[in-house]
Amino acid sequence: MSEVVKLQLIGLSVVGFGIVILLFVRAQFARVIGFVSIVLGLFSLVALAVPQMASLPPAEEKFDIATVKTPTDMAAIGQKIFFSKGQCALCHSIGPSESARCPDLKGIGAKLSREFIFESLTQPQAYIYLDYRHEGLPKEYPARMPYINKNPIGLSKNEILSVIAFLQQMSGEPISVNPSELEVPGQAPAAPVKAAESAPVAVAQAH
Amino acid sequence: MRHQGGLIRRMLRTLSGHGGWLPGLLLAAGCLALPAVGLAAEGATAGPTEYRDIPGIGSRNLVWIIAQLHLLLAGFVLGVPIFAWLCEVVGWKTGEKRYDKLAKEFTKLLTSSYATTALFGGILLFLLVAFYPKLMNYLTDIFFPSFIVYCLLFLLETATLYLYWYGWDAMQDGGKKTFHIFLGLLLNVFAFFIMIVPNSWATFQASPVVIAEGTDLQRAWAATWNPTWWPVNIHRLIANVVLGGYICGAYAGIRYLSARTPEDRDHYDWMGYVGNFIGVFGLLPLPFAGYWLMREIYQYNQQMGITLMGGFLSWLFILQAMLIGVLFLGSNYYFWLGITHRIPGSEMRYRKPIMTMLVILLLCLGVWMTPHSLVASLEEARKMGGTHHPLLGVFGVMSAKMTVSNLMILVTFMSFIMYWRAGKEETAGWAKAAKALMSGLLVVAGIAVVVLGVWGYFVPAIVRINYFSTSQVLIVLFVMLTITPLTALLLKSAKTTTEMVWGRMPPRAGYALVLNAIMVILLMTLMGYARSSSRVHWHIYGVMRDSSQYAYSPALGYAAAFMALNTFCFCMLVAFIFWVATMGDKAKAGHGGKGELPHGMPAMAGGSSALDAPETRKF
Repeated sequence: MSEVVKLQLIGLSVVGFGIVILLFVRAQFARVIGFVSIVLGLFSLVALAVPQMASLPPAEEKFDIATVKTPTDMAAIGQKIFFSKGQCALCHSIGPSESARCPDLKGIGAKLSREFIFESLTQPQAYIYLDYRHEGLPKEYPARMPYINKNPIGLSKNEILSVIAFLQQMSGEPISVNPSELEVPGQAPAAPVKAAESAPVAVAQAH
Repeated sequence: MRHQGGLIRRMLRTLSGHGGWLPGLLLAAGCLALPAVGLAAEGATAGPTEYRDIPGIGSRNLVWIIAQLHLLLAGFVLGVPIFAWLCEVVGWKTGEKRYDKLAKEFTKLLTSSYATTALFGGILLFLLVAFYPKLMNYLTDIFFPSFIVYCLLFLLETATLYLYWYGWDAMQDGGKKTFHIFLGLLLNVFAFFIMIVPNSWATFQASPVVIAEGTDLQRAWAATWNPTWWPVNIHRLIANVVLGGYICGAYAGIRYLSARTPEDRDHYDWMGYVGNFIGVFGLLPLPFAGYWLMREIYQYNQQMGITLMGGFLSWLFILQAMLIGVLFLGSNYYFWLGITHRIPGSEMRYRKPIMTMLVILLLCLGVWMTPHSLVASLEEARKMGGTHHPLLGVFGVMSAKMTVSNLMILVTFMSFIMYWRAGKEETAGWAKAAKALMSGLLVVAGIAVVVLGVWGYFVPAIVRINYFSTSQVLIVLFVMLTITPLTALLLKSAKTTTEMVWGRMPPRAGYALVLNAIMVILLMTLMGYARSSSRVHWHIYGVMRDSSQYAYSPALGYAAAFMALNTFCFCMLVAFIFWVATMGDKAKAGHGGKGELPHGMPAMAGGSSALDAPETRKF
C-alpha cells in the first residue's frame, strides 16, 4: 500500500469520524470537533488528489574524469546536470513551451559560441539587453539569469563545460568541448575557457 | 560540543531576564526536549556535530509540529491584543460598555496564552539547538545583537501586559482611561517589534544578505534588513489581525451553539458579528500584502519565485485558492445570514443582491482554482494538445487569477457595506449624491479590473505585472479607502429604521464562524510550508546547504496531513486556554447565581457587567 493510499484512508477515517459524531452526539463541543474533523479530513483528501511532487535535493553527478573519454560522454553528463543540479529546465525549455519563462534553448548551441555560452552562465550581467517593447528609446536591462557557478546552483567548471557540450549536441552541432579541458581535482587547472572576462560590455538585442 | 554547550548556557542566561515565570517554563521545556539531545547524533566522530535525529517521528517532523504550533500561538497572542485594543477604542469612543467588556474578555486570555506560547517557543529553541547545532551556531553568530533586543522587548511587553491587564478596572475613567488606551497601543507596538525581530531570522534563511566585513551590529543589521523582511512583516501583521478576529468569531460561534439562555445567545451572536467584522476588515487588504511579498521574492531570486508559483509548489496555490475562496464565501455567508436574520423584514429586499454576489463569488472561485496545467492522462493531454485545456487553460494564468481575486475582494467589500447600512436610513442632504457616487465607483472599478485583466493577455508579462496587476490592486484599494469613510460619514447622521435583533441566527451561522477560523489557520500552515519549501535543499538559501537526510520537501499530500494535524492541535490548545481562562468565572457565576451577572452576561466577562443594560445592546 503506497503512502498516498494510506494517507487517503486516514483522511477518509477522519471524515467518517466527524460524520459519526455529528449524527450521534448531542454535546455541542463534541459536534464542533466532529465538524472540524470533517473539514480537515476533506482538506487532506483534496491535497492528496493533486499531483504529488516532492522536491528532492539535486543528485550530485559523479564526475569521474577517468571514465569521461569522449565529448559525447560529457554531453551525457551535461544533460543530467541540465535537468537536475543546474536547474536550467526550471526556467528554460528545449523547444517551444507554454510554461517556459525564459528563452527557448533549442538550437542555442548552433547560434552561440561556447565562449559566449560560458560567459552567459558565469557572468550573466556582462551583456546588457535592449528592450524595444516600449515607446521611445529602448530600455536597457541586465539578464535575470543567475550566476551558475555560484550558490545556490554552484556548478563547477567541469559541470558547466558538460552542460555546454549537451547544448551543442542537442543543437546538432559538433561538440567543441574536449575531455582534456576537464580539471582534475588537486591538479593545476587546465587552460581557461576563452571567456570574454575583460571584454567591454556588449549590447545584444531582444525582440 | 563545548561550543554548543556554551551556546545553551548563553541562551539560558539571556532568557533569564524575562521575569520569574518564563525561565521556569523554558527550563520545563528544556527538560521535555532533553531526551532529544542525546539521540542519534550524526557524524559525531568526524568533527563537530551538524545534525541529530530522534527515532520514530524524526527531527524534522517534530520541529515542524512544534514550530507551527508556536507560530500559530504567536499569531494568536499578537492578534488578540490588536483585536482587544480596537474593541477598547471603539467602546471608549462610542461609550458602549459591551466593547470594553469584550476587549477585557480577550485580554484576559493573554496571560495564559503568553505562557503557552513561551513554553512552545522554549521547546522549539531547545529542539533547534539539539537537532541543528551547526545552523543554530551560524544564526547565533549573525543575529546575536538582535537576540538581546528580542529579550529586552519581551521584558517591555510583559511589563506592559501586566499593567494593561491588572490595571483595567482601576483605569476606567477620564485621563486614566486615556492612559490605559495608550498602554494598549504600547502593548501592540512592542508586540509588533517582537514579531518582526524573529521574522528577520526566518526571512534571512530565504533571502540572506551576508556581509563579510563590519562589526557584529552591522552584520546583524544587514542580515535583518533582507529583501523579504518587510513584506513578511506587513503580511504577518495583517494576518494576525485576521486570525485574532476569526478566532474570536469561532469562540463566539461555539458559545452561541451551546448557549442556554436568550441573553447568552444575544451576547455571543453579537460577539461573533464583531469577530467576523474584524476578520474581514483584515482579510480585504491581506491579498495585496501577499502580492507584494511574491513580487519581492521574484525580484530577489527568480528561481525561487518560479519554484513557488510554477515549480513543484504550483499546486499548493490551487489549494490556497480553495481555502481563501471558502474563507471569502464563509465570511460573506455570515454577513448574509446576519442581514436576513437580524434585520426583520429584510429577507426579500436583499435576496437578489445576495444571489448575484454568490454567483459572482462562485464563478471567481472556479476561475481562481483552475490550474495552469491540468492533471491529465497521456491520451487526454494528446487530445488537448498539451496539458493546457483549450478553454480552461485561459483561466489558469495569472491575469485571470489577479482579476478574480480583486473581484472577490470587491464583492466581499460590498457585502460588508451592505450589512453596515442595513436597517438604516441616511438623512444627510447629500446622501443621494454620495450613494450614486459610491455605486458608480463600484461599477467602474469592477469594469476596470475586468478590462485590465483581459487586456493583460495581450501584453508582455513584464507590462502586466508592473502596470496592469498593480493598477488592479490600486483601483480596489482606492474604492475601499473612498467608500469606507464616506459610508461612515453617511451613517453618522442616519436614523435606524429597523433595529438589529441579536440571538436569532440559525446554528449554521456558528458553524460558518468555526469554518472561517479553520480556513485561516489552515492557510497559515499551508503558506508556512510554502515559505519553508521555497528554500528547497538549503537551510539558508545559497549560503548553507541542508546536508541532512531531510534535505527534501515532502509532497503536498503528506504535508497537508501535518497541516491538518497542526491545525487540530492548535484548536485544542486554544480551546484549552479559553476553558482555563473561564473556569474561575464559571465557578463564581455558579456560586453567586445570576445576581452577579445580570442579563445573563457571559461568565467569562470581567467586571462591569452591570453597566451593560439590555437596552444599550443594540448596534
